Amino acid sequence: MGGIRNLESLFNPKTIAVVGASPTAGKISNIILKSLKHSSFSGKVYPINPRYKEVQGLKCFKSIADIGAQVDLAVFAIPAKTVPGALRDSEARLNVAVIVSGGFGETGEAGRALEKELKEIVSRTGVRVVGPNCMGIYYSFSGVDTFFIPEDRMKRPGKGGLSIVSQSGSFAVTAMDELAAEGAGAARIISYGNKADVNETDCLEFLIDDEQTTAVALYIESIEEGRRFVDVASRCAAKKPVMALKVGKSAVGMDAAHSHTGALAGRYEVYKAAFKKAGVIELSGYEDFLSACKALSVLKKTVAGRRVMIITDGGGMGVNIADACASLGLEVEPLPEKAKEQMSLLLPRFCSVSNPMDLTGSATDELFAEALEKTLDTDGYDLAIVAALWGPPALTDELPHLISEKAELADKPVIICSPGGVYTRAKTALFGKYGLPVFPSPESAARAASILCRGRRKA
Amino acid sequence: MVKRAIERIVKEALSLGERALVEPEAKEMLKLSSIPVPRFQVVKDVRAAVEAAESIGYPVVLKVVSADIIHKSDIGGVATGIKTREEIEHQWSKMLLRVADENPVAMIEGFMVEEQVPKGVEVIAGAIKDEQFGVVVMFGTGGVAVELMKDVSFRLAPLDRTEALEMIADVKGFPLLTGFRGDNIKDIFAIADVLVKLAEIVEKTDGLKELEINPLMVYDRGIMAVDARAQLG
Repeated sequence: MGGIRNLESLFNPKTIAVVGASPTAGKISNIILKSLKHSSFSGKVYPINPRYKEVQGLKCFKSIADIGAQVDLAVFAIPAKTVPGALRDSEARLNVAVIVSGGFGETGEAGRALEKELKEIVSRTGVRVVGPNCMGIYYSFSGVDTFFIPEDRMKRPGKGGLSIVSQSGSFAVTAMDELAAEGAGAARIISYGNKADVNETDCLEFLIDDEQTTAVALYIESIEEGRRFVDVASRCAAKKPVMALKVGKSAVGMDAAHSHTGALAGRYEVYKAAFKKAGVIELSGYEDFLSACKALSVLKKTVAGRRVMIITDGGGMGVNIADACASLGLEVEPLPEKAKEQMSLLLPRFCSVSNPMDLTGSATDELFAEALEKTLDTDGYDLAIVAALWGPPALTDELPHLISEKAELADKPVIICSPGGVYTRAKTALFGKYGLPVFPSPESAARAASILCRGRRKA
Repeated sequence: MVKRAIERIVKEALSLGERALVEPEAKEMLKLSSIPVPRFQVVKDVRAAVEAAESIGYPVVLKVVSADIIHKSDIGGVATGIKTREEIEHQWSKMLLRVADENPVAMIEGFMVEEQVPKGVEVIAGAIKDEQFGVVVMFGTGGVAVELMKDVSFRLAPLDRTEALEMIADVKGFPLLTGFRGDNIKDIFAIADVLVKLAEIVEKTDGLKELEINPLMVYDRGIMAVDARAQLG
């Protein structure tokens, strides 16, 4: 296995060749070329196709060899049966190939033979291959983008600290689109498909020391190098949050007939055990995955405990959040005496000075800030959910800023729960601007809180 | 030394073409690893059974020993609470007939006469080799309905004591071990030690694929592996 060798070329190539570049709009190669031309990518882009002299205004080459220079990254968007030959002809001048073409191991006997050929080329020559049957790479910092869905259909997130490693391309690109819509950023996104060479563990190993990446989300269908994964994931999780969604949960046990252990140790249970061993946060499905991505794209870190402080100006919403927290195993402990005394002096008599804390309709920006400071200041809580309903007339656009200041001061994560209609939704971006993750319902906010608490717990 | 003795048990069974160990062999492995098992003797005839029972002391349990029978009690291959010589003779002939009736092709290697141990909280502890991830350890609340209730937790080996204690606390039935309804608190540390040892045995023994204790009887102080099975391969 190639480990992380040459993976930097994937993300920071000086030259990119698009093999099979076509002038026909809507073709995969055409979309990729267009994305690269319009992105912030500042290196050279070479269309490769013997049938054309020029594609999209760029000089087109017959082959990679024809360019006459070393190519860092080549994207192959040509029919599967022609890929091994094209790779063989160009590997000597190539660091990394992203093979987006389908029609390999996922399709049957003939496809499996083609994939085997790819693997042989990899092991014989040392060229690195991402894919086949993948969407490849998106790197917000360099503008490299091989995801072949046009930008007007699927938006790309801006710069951020979250990296996504996904076996499925459509899963990754959909998550990217949702993050972009939320204004959340991302760093490196890798769709690795059939993993003829580069697999999830290689990507994760690369991300351990990547300064741009502050958190990693994995979408996994299968892992082959299980022990290496546990080792690499442990090392990565020691530095930054690593989260994983493993799909195919109902796969049956390994050896049903013989023992209860065999019958009960389904594939998913084994993956769960592996995640636990490595300190990887287990995600349960798409919603969980998205919540995790949203929360960790801004918050950067998880927490050691699971005690949540809830502050709201709507009593009902507060209790609802408390219920949602309890059902996810989070603890909503009563206020410590000191914080209770301090808050009682500040708040009108009819406010509920407990947890959840209800500031009622007389809430102000300053009261929210005070409440957050006094409660997070104690060692009674690990994080807070603030549900600021925009009804109280005294609340202003200053609120997000004040909340983020107090969150920073306490060095504890604060999650915003902001249910509401047109006015409320227009305020969402304000929270985002100050690095506060916003969720639209008590359930989704509690879910995000629980994700932050699912990491390895300090002894 | 212990490792070698355990390997020898597995090697011998493998060389005979066996795919599983019979209960006395599996228990021998546990004993070698200092996991307590009830006192037992393997006998071939009824006179030896009576002698064994008298040397162990009544009450005893009589069990059929056969690599072909996976769930002994399902086919009448276990008789408990035997208190006299007459009872053991009676159970012996009854068991022979029942087993022959239920599973006529089973190769019967003999019978175990075993000390009847007191009732405790029944749990299950097992370890299995996984091709991708290595050894996986399981703990759960026990009994015959374990596959129905699925109150189990898993961890990857190697396992330390803290992880073992965590996986015990993970199951819903954990309160059964911590003084449920006025009962005494059970020896959770002894269970943790068993889990750590199972992980180690399966990890270090070539040819051993699974090792499982069910039930593992848990007392206020100490534990006892009442039944055990092992898969090879």
